[in-house]
Formats: sequence, C-alpha cells, structure tokens
Amino acid sequence: MSALLKRFGGAVVVLIIVLVLNFFLFRIMPGDPLTGIVDPRFSPEAKQELAAQWGLDRPVAEQFVVYIREMLSFRFGLSMMTGTPVWDELRNRVPNTVALLLPALLLSAALGIALGVKAALRRGSKVERLVLWSGAVSFSFPSFFVQLLLLMCFAWLWPIFPLSGSTSIPPLAGLAGVADYLRHLALPLLSLVILSFGGWALYVRNMMVKALGEDYVLMAVARGLPRRRVVWNHAFRSILPPVLTILLLSLPGVVSGAVITETVFSLNGAGRFLLEATNSHDYPSAGAAFFLLALLTVGCNLLADLLYVLVDPRVRRGGVE
Amino acid sequence: MVFDMRRDLCSFSFVCFVLLAAAALAGPGVLGLRDGPQAPPYSKPDWLDSSIAPTMVFHVTGSETLIESSGGQAPPETPLRDSQGPMAIGSSGGQGSLGRVRSLAGPPETPLRDSQGPTALERGLGQSPNASIALDWKYAPPLRVSLTGRLDGAQVRWTMPEGEFTLAAGRGDIDLDARDIPFKKALGIEPFVNMAAVLFPARGAYRLSLDGSGDVVMRVEGGRWGLLGTDQRGRDVATLFVRGVRISLIVGIAATLIATFFGLAFGLLSGYAGGATDTLIMRAVDVLLSIPTLPILMIFAGMWGRSLWNLVLILSIFSWMGTARMVRSMTLSLRDAPWVEGLRALGARRNYILFRHLVPEAMPLLLANIALGVPGAILAEAGLAFLGLSDPRLPSWGRMLHEAHVFGAFTSGAWWMILPPGLGISLICLIFMDIGRRLEERADPRLKGGSAR
Repeated sequence: MSALLKRFGGAVVVLIIVLVLNFFLFRIMPGDPLTGIVDPRFSPEAKQELAAQWGLDRPVAEQFVVYIREMLSFRFGLSMMTGTPVWDELRNRVPNTVALLLPALLLSAALGIALGVKAALRRGSKVERLVLWSGAVSFSFPSFFVQLLLLMCFAWLWPIFPLSGSTSIPPLAGLAGVADYLRHLALPLLSLVILSFGGWALYVRNMMVKALGEDYVLMAVARGLPRRRVVWNHAFRSILPPVLTILLLSLPGVVSGAVITETVFSLNGAGRFLLEATNSHDYPSAGAAFFLLALLTVGCNLLADLLYVLVDPRVRRGGVE
Repeated sequence: MVFDMRRDLCSFSFVCFVLLAAAALAGPGVLGLRDGPQAPPYSKPDWLDSSIAPTMVFHVTGSETLIESSGGQAPPETPLRDSQGPMAIGSSGGQGSLGRVRSLAGPPETPLRDSQGPTALERGLGQSPNASIALDWKYAPPLRVSLTGRLDGAQVRWTMPEGEFTLAAGRGDIDLDARDIPFKKALGIEPFVNMAAVLFPARGAYRLSLDGSGDVVMRVEGGRWGLLGTDQRGRDVATLFVRGVRISLIVGIAATLIATFFGLAFGLLSGYAGGATDTLIMRAVDVLLSIPTLPILMIFAGMWGRSLWNLVLILSIFSWMGTARMVRSMTLSLRDAPWVEGLRALGARRNYILFRHLVPEAMPLLLANIALGVPGAILAEAGLAFLGLSDPRLPSWGRMLHEAHVFGAFTSGAWWMILPPGLGISLICLIFMDIGRRLEERADPRLKGGSAR
C-alpha cells in the first residue's frame, strides 16, 4: 500500500510542477501577454481595462493564487480570443482526444504484444521480419508523414474515409451520428495503431526472446505443460512488468502524437485546441490545454502504476522499487 | 579491427550520410537549382507525363547593335545554363533539353552553333545571338505565355504551323502576358479566349523570330518542372529538398550535442556527488520524462519566437534526460571501481578523476548516444515545423510538409510535395540510427549479434 501512496505522491508532485511551470512559462514570455488581442491603436485606458479583465494588473502573488484556484476548479479563466471561460471550449474537445488515444493505445499494445510474442516464438519467420521492419518504421518515420500518406490514399485517391473533421457538417443525430463519428475516427485511429504497434512488437519480441531462453521456461516445457501455458503463463507473465514500464514511458509520446494527429485530420480535440491557442497567443487557453494534456499523461501514469502493483508481486510487498 | 572499420565506412548508411552532409554544405546552387518561384504552382515532375508542356524560356536577341556590344548585354535574369530542367535558350542549339529547341535560322552573319556545349553557349550569347528560334511542339497547350524584353525598332513574330501573329512591334520595353485583355485585343482575339491555346493550337513546328534589333525573352509555362515538380508557390521542390537537408542536420546535430552536454554534466554531478543532489536531479529527470514534451515545445516555440537557434535550444532543454540517466549509472558503477579507488588513494582530485578518466571511459557510449539521439531531435523539429511553429523563411522538410498539408497538396494530387520531405526525414533518421547502432557495437562488443538480431 505504501508503494501506491508513494506513486500517488509522485504524480501530485509532477502536477504541481506542471502548474507552477505553466504559470511562469507565460509570465516570463517576452512582451505583453495581451499582444495577441491588443491593437496598437487601442487607447491606454482600453488596454488597462483589458489587463484588469484578465487580472494582469494585480501583484504576481495574487495572480498566482487566482490562477491555482481557476486551474483546480477546472474553469481555467477566460479565453483571450472569445472572452468566454476556457473550459466551455475544452469540455467538448477532451472527450474527442480520449476517444482517439485510449483505443489507439490499447489496440496497438494488443497487436504489438501478439505480434511480438509470435515473432519471438518463430525466429526467422515472416512475422519476425514484419516486426523488425515495423519497429524501424515506428522509430524513424514521422507520424505526420505517414498520416498524410494515409489521408492521401484512403481519403482522396480511394475516398472511403472522410478527409477531415470529427463529424460531418451539419452533425447527424442519433445512431447515424455515432456511426458518422466512428467513421471520422477510424483513419486517425488506424494511423496511430500502424505507427505505434511496431515499437511495442519490437520491445516485446526482444524481451520474449530473452525470457524464452530462461531456465524456468525450459523447466515448464520439461514438466510437459501445454505450449500455450508455457508461453503466456510463464514466459510472458515474467515480462509483464517491463511491458507496463514501457506503457508508462510511451504515454507522453502518445499524448504528443495526439496534437499532430488531430492537426493532420482536423479533429476537434484538445491537442488542436492547444495549437490554435498557441498560434493566436491565447495564453489562458494554451495553458489550460497543456495542463489537461499533462493531467491526462499523469493520470494514465498513475493507472499504469496501479496495474504495476497488481502485476508485480515484488512491488506489492514493497521489496523493490 | 581495420577490416571492421572498412565495413562500417562502406556501409550504406555512412555513404548516405556523407552524401547528405555534402548536399547540406554545398547547397542547391551547386546542383544548378535555384530559389524562388520557377514555374506554375503544382507543376508535375518532369519525367511524369510527357504530354504536358514543360516550362521553357526562349531568348532571342536581334541583330546589329548586339553584335557590336560586349558580352554583358544579356539581361542578368535571363537563364544562361542549359542544365536546369526543361529550359532552353535561343542560341543553345539543340542541347538536348526537353524543349527540343533547334536554331533554324539566324541572321546571315551569324553562324549556326549546333554542336557547341554550354560553355560555348555562354560565350556565344553576347557575340552572335540568334534572331529566331524554332521549336518542335509535342505537347498540350501551355498554361501561360509571356513576353518580356526590349525592342529597338523591331517586330516579334510568332509563326505557327498554320498562320502567324505579330506579337509586338516598335520601340521600347515590352512586358506582355497572354492573359492581358489589351494584348488579346491587339492581336484580334476575343477577350475571354485562352490565348495560350491560340498560340499553341496543335503539335508541330513553331518559330519565334525577331526582325530588327532587340532583346526578348518568351516564357512558356507548362505544367512540368524539374526533378520533383513545384510547390504551391511555384518553387522548385528539389531546391527546397536540398535546402531542407541543412536545416535537419543542423537542428538534429546541434540540439543533440547541447543536450548531450547537459546530460553529461548532470549525469556526472548526480552520479559522483550522490546524496541530495542526486535525488534532486533524478527527480527532475523523472518529472521531465513524464510531461508530454511536444505541447511544451509548442508553447515555447509559439510564444518565444521561432528562430532556428531558439528551436535548437528548446529541443536540447527537453532531451538531455536519457543521457543523464545513462551517464549517472555509468558513473555510479565506476565511482567505486577498484582502479578509481586507487586513483583517489593516490591523491587524485575529483575533477581529474572525472574529466581524465570517467569522461573518456563514457565517450564511446556517449558518441553512440549522440547518433541515436539525432533522430529524436530531427523528428521533434520536423513535428514543430509541421505544426507551423518554425521559421517560415527557412525551408525545412517539416515546413514543406506543413505547407503541403495547409495548402491541401494531396487534394491536388501533388504527392511530390509530400513524399520527398517525408522520405528524407525517415531516411536521415534511419541513417543516424544505424550509425548509432554501429557505434554502440563498437563501444560494447557484447551487443554484436546479441538481442538485436
């Protein structure tokens, strides 16, 4: 239990650092934070009024307190572009990001593990070659390039998927709407799976090859256990903790990938919101989107930690870190 | 060992690296590629579809005045070389360019120069210009035709298989475009008729001739250009591609070097000092590793400015963690090794042990680490550029893909704007990974034939 508490404490520390960083990132920026919305022709009074509206005329300490309150209450202050609360904008977007990332992560992990184990069992087969190649692709091909190619092939040359957007315009209602949403999600999801399963498969294969050479696997074979059980219950079970570690380490990258994927496919998610906010110098919105993405990462990290405890008996007993 | 070295130096990836580095150092000028708009937007690569008209430039210089003047008479913007895609110059005399231009007739005093190379051509341009160019047109009508130059009491005639136009006559500067309505009216063509199609009605033999003295350039812009076509602004994609190599290499290598420096410093400090310093640095590493970096990079790049060196600095700030971890674990294991203990017993100071013994010990792995870190930096830079957060004046590969995406290259079917930069990034990453793997094997021979294969 203490191990869990420690992890939880770690996550809280990361979040606090993100919050503080987020606050100061925008305060140490060169120039006036209002540059994005203030026209040089504005009168000084108008400028002052605008500064007052975003609380920029108060002392930094007070600004910080207000900022923390806004962040923790999930209101995130007012957007500089629209003047409405940022959360109202983001609320509709976060589910889209989650709906993209979670299935992508699960699918690519599942596919990667299955292929990796298979490749480890059949060294020198076509499956192994596929794994090695897809691994190289996932480490060296830029995601947006592959996605642009997919978009070109399956949305333009052979238009079976829509070219952009999260839904059709105007949005359809009811069941047709759900189907439409899924149709728009399919290609981004597919592209993410294609891009990331290779890395998984490569890792799993390398670890499985090692695990299959261990004495306890030989022992299990010698005991006459079914092959299935040897592979999954003995060999794979022993590499489960490192697989979870990789899951943990890959999360920030997956969230980063969301920004690019949403941009390529014009999905209405938190990542593209961040890009738009950055481009229009909308500090509160950019800060909020960044905080939410970090929260998503940290939350998933914590979840992976929980699984870790379930999976690794050594951690459960608090013996090893 | 020597044999081994030769194997590495002859490897595909190393050769590619040398070629790319040479391209980056030389720049596109050496290859005869030029910046700026060259041909109509979204021109296809030259080799793709030979029924489309290429973009060509014909230069006719007329008669007496020029022969007497010096070689500097050719206007500076006039293309002189024959090596730049489908472009032909009046006096080039059948240099085998795509335009298939032949000099048929010159003024009586001008000898035909059919068999001379480009150098002779450059020399010959000022001395003995042709007043007439014949071409064998085998394509669909071009997109655009324009005529610029100066006339000193002359007329420009355009002879078609059937019929003839006098395009311009008189004295003074001319700047005509086939889309100008007054120009069309002057030739007796209806204002809404596509004049390019009127000037090039069919396949066959055409001739542009200048009667009198003057200096005229005719641009015939078709839908084909160069090795890799053009982008949405008509810039040569091959030029941009070669320019992009430089950006990718600079950013990748510089950012990784700086990051490695940070990583080395923090790793040594953390591993050798231990205690609270160690805990602090390692916690910082943990935190940085669990924050999604691209959003942070976006915020930095978007709000701090997008210059190249800003980008390099930002990238290196967020990529030293892996190196720090590696150096730390290495330092930890070496700190208590018997020979280091011996050094300490002999009275060696800390800095001496660190910089004369531990750093050289870590060097081979660090080198491998640098090579393996470059792809990450290149991909991060490309990602930021793709999101539009790079210097718009620097044509990097990420920026090319950004423009391809923003301007909808794939809905124009312009795959030549997507494939070259994308494959370029991938290739350069693969190259560095292979070099890194080889260096790693060198540093730690146990890896050879180990789990990787």
